[in-house]
Amino acid sequence: MRTYLIDHEQNEIVFDITKTLVHSSELVEYEFCAIEENKVIDRQTIFLRKLAGSFFVSTDGKQWGKLAKQDLPSRVVHVDSVFNVFRGYKPSGLSGAGAGELKTQMPGKVVKILVNEGDKVIKGQTMLILEAMKMENEIKCGIDGVVRKIHVKNGDTLESGVLMMEVEE
Amino acid sequence: MSELRFLPKEKKRVLISNRGEIAIRIAKACRELGHTAVGIWTDNEPAAKHLEFCDEWVRLPGKTNAETYLNIPAIIKLCKESKIDAVHPGYGFLAERTEFAEALEKEKIVFIGPNSNAVKLMGDKATSKVLAKSVGVPVIPGSAEAVPSVAEAIKISNDIGYPVLLKAVAGGGGRGQRACFSEGEIKDHFEAVQRESQSAFGNGDLLVEKLILDPHHIEVQVLGDKKGNVYHFFERECSVQRRNQKIIEEAPSPFIGDDEKLRQEICTTAVKLAQAVKYDSAGTVEFIMGADRKFYFLEMNTRIQVEHPITEEITGVDLIICMIQAAFGEELGIPDQEWIHRTGHAIECRICAEDPITMLPAPGLVTGFDTNFPQGIRFDHCVYKNLDVTPDFDPMVGKLIAKGIVRDIAIRKMRSALKGLYIEGLKTNIPLHKVIMEDQVFIDGNYTTTYIKEHKPQDRVKKTKKYSRFYKLLAGIEAKRMGM
Repeated sequence: MRTYLIDHEQNEIVFDITKTLVHSSELVEYEFCAIEENKVIDRQTIFLRKLAGSFFVSTDGKQWGKLAKQDLPSRVVHVDSVFNVFRGYKPSGLSGAGAGELKTQMPGKVVKILVNEGDKVIKGQTMLILEAMKMENEIKCGIDGVVRKIHVKNGDTLESGVLMMEVEE
Repeated sequence: MSELRFLPKEKKRVLISNRGEIAIRIAKACRELGHTAVGIWTDNEPAAKHLEFCDEWVRLPGKTNAETYLNIPAIIKLCKESKIDAVHPGYGFLAERTEFAEALEKEKIVFIGPNSNAVKLMGDKATSKVLAKSVGVPVIPGSAEAVPSVAEAIKISNDIGYPVLLKAVAGGGGRGQRACFSEGEIKDHFEAVQRESQSAFGNGDLLVEKLILDPHHIEVQVLGDKKGNVYHFFERECSVQRRNQKIIEEAPSPFIGDDEKLRQEICTTAVKLAQAVKYDSAGTVEFIMGADRKFYFLEMNTRIQVEHPITEEITGVDLIICMIQAAFGEELGIPDQEWIHRTGHAIECRICAEDPITMLPAPGLVTGFDTNFPQGIRFDHCVYKNLDVTPDFDPMVGKLIAKGIVRDIAIRKMRSALKGLYIEGLKTNIPLHKVIMEDQVFIDGNYTTTYIKEHKPQDRVKKTKKYSRFYKLLAGIEAKRMGM
């Protein structure tokens, strides 16, 4: 079974489960491989044991590490990247925002819009101020261009991934 | 049956007008004393973790903080409906709002905190500085009162010299302040800081003061009662900060170190100030200390602070319980100042839902949670599997506290505890704390408030993708799918 891990910048890691061996109701052996550009670049056996209601994992069957109790997570985190987990399929329509599309990275409230439609803007210019978690975040432009469309107004409360502005090169 | 001392004479109904880990901490204290802990739930957090620790649950309708935890009339109404005897505000929200303390006083409801006059005198940074100066407590040069305009701010700054700090009169927790190194920077930031202050504290007034470079943030825990006694519980150093907000605190201060004379001086100065406002609860006097070991009064926080547990760990006192007892005019069980001792060293790491490198808030859903801690660890938190961390509230979800007989042992225990703290599904600053606990500058205890900015531990957070970590997580998912 193929699993895709995709973060919000569309970085993708692909994994295959190539073997599942059930030793007992408490012990399973899996073989995973990591795939890049259709080539297997890494392969590893993982043992999983259920002990006192928790899962423990091991690469050698000797040293065991605990996994945090989880249901079926749709996300996994690695340090500063959050990956969405897609098992068995790769989602379509997840195409990345162009450099000229300003999308919210986290939910927040529009405090102040600093540009108008038709304005000439430069890369790195602050376009609007978004308040999230009691902090003001300056949202900067990714390219040089002209503001084509502003989709939000002052005071709007936005979810994550909302298109706020479009800039034309 | 023999009677225990230090038990309340009467069972009271205590409303906790807060949420998260501090609401849990307060609820536990209420239960220990035999009082009824009444918890609040709001429409944007109906599954609040703290309710689990409260005896009674009441609904405060509304989806925004302005409608709920910051809504004085609504909370007063709730108190009357639920026959509340006392309110504990925790930290943040209404904890330092004079209007709230006064409104409760008017309704003959006990405010678990200092008298409203002390909140008023200390709540305004400008008047608190004037007062401190008048009783001989050293203060930083700056504007005596709120600065009405950019022009005025620039005039004062030119007088006292750059760099200067723009800060909210009503601020706290490092929000609503900005360093300015030139006239131009004041022009750029004045409005933004005003806006931030208005939205965070409901008051956009700003102060200007001289900025001390490479400073240590050192604060003293004080506790007063209704008989006029004020005690101190030694100092905490809170110099590891990002965006002027603390992320790691420790007690005692490694900068003061063995200098018992300096420690005595700063602690008695704090007591002197607290006595001047007839302080009668738990509070914190914050100082800024330069490299020359001279200290200046910064502000007094007239509430329980986030980092109070490290003081509890080294002195053995239960500050929340003392606060409740002090509010009801009861005996604290402290004979005198000399009776208060400290042993060992305690460190606190604030666990926040944020990117460990950019340190920006990263809300999300906790998909998994587990702990495996060594001896000497305390974790005050509100984390559970399926907790949805929303942008409505502070990103701090817990406080990891390590206590050891000496500082190095506390650091060792903290390293082990961080390895045993599993929070899955969203970004946390645990990887950053791990780096700091291994960093020589931190280990030497030789850091100032510029530590994060200058030593950049965040740049040493390891990003290398180890496939084996993903394999292990995926194995867990597969096992769940197989119904194990």
